[in-house]
Amino acid sequence: MSNEKRHRVSRRQFLTYTLTGVGGFMAAGMLSPMVRMALDPALEAGADSEFISIGISEDELTDEPQRVDFQVELEDGWYTSEQARSAWIYKEGDEIIALSPICTHLGCTVNWDSNENHPEQFYCPCHDGRFERDGTNIEGTPPTRPLDIYDVEVRDGAIYLGQINQRS
Amino acid sequence: MRWTQAHIKTYQQAREYVDTAIIPLIPLQWGKSEKQIITMGEFTGYLSESLEKQFTGRVFLLPSFTYLISENMEERVERLKAWDNHFYQEGFKYIIYVTSDADWKAAEKKLPDELLWMPASSPDSFEASQFKRLIEQQVEQIMPIFTAKWQSEPLSREN
Ligand code: FES
Repeated sequence: MSNEKRHRVSRRQFLTYTLTGVGGFMAAGMLSPMVRMALDPALEAGADSEFISIGISEDELTDEPQRVDFQVELEDGWYTSEQARSAWIYKEGDEIIALSPICTHLGCTVNWDSNENHPEQFYCPCHDGRFERDGTNIEGTPPTRPLDIYDVEVRDGAIYLGQINQRS
Repeated sequence: MRWTQAHIKTYQQAREYVDTAIIPLIPLQWGKSEKQIITMGEFTGYLSESLEKQFTGRVFLLPSFTYLISENMEERVERLKAWDNHFYQEGFKYIIYVTSDADWKAAEKKLPDELLWMPASSPDSFEASQFKRLIEQQVEQIMPIFTAKWQSEPLSREN
């Protein structure tokens, strides 16, 4: 009798352990991509290194940075969502430069040539962060590294953007 | 920044840079014109989120302040003032209330800080992409309100 009882208890324990194990494993699996995404926006986009078309062609580009908005599909396990992205894109000689508009200080959105006192620069309205045309952060303003830069590809004259890269 | 664990961590490392809070004001009512009421809330929500995204390094988006349409305005204002005061004391020197409910315009003078009223357009009267563009346009119009506010001294509270 006592033997039987002990047996039952241990089976319940076994089940409890197993369930905790599976639950904990699932929680860890769900949590880590979310935490990574929140901490490091560059990493998030780096996760898929596919190139996507952003609906603009090479001959529409000039040496003046222009803002292009586009959508990317993010897959997080079974859940797919569309996310809005933007780039400041321009031509430097033959090269095409596409910069992320996310300020490297705390993540506000920067604009090109939007502040009267600082023409021809990227300007962040949050704490007066500033960047040169090529994305280099300007000394004495809060950002400590340049704007992130996209991989760029041209296919049949159309612009495709790939992953976002951090620079230092 | 938003009301999430991940963002509170960022906030704690950067609190001296985050001095502005957004409080969405969202009306509730059921059984009568709920469709319209929901549209207001949805629009206010999208708009607040887009503003947060634009200014994420300086602005904290708080959970919505909700109220029954039947709650009288004086009580509402008192409750909102209590929220405002709490966050003001904790270092949010600029607080912006975002809403589509025109009722608040009558009470604007009694509010301790800035009311941002934007009439709601219903998402279902637009294509999704058009709706997004509309919100972006609104955000662009509103941006100078934020930057002008930051150029000026924070409004003082009564107590
Ligand atoms: S977020 Fe751009 S300067 Fe602080």
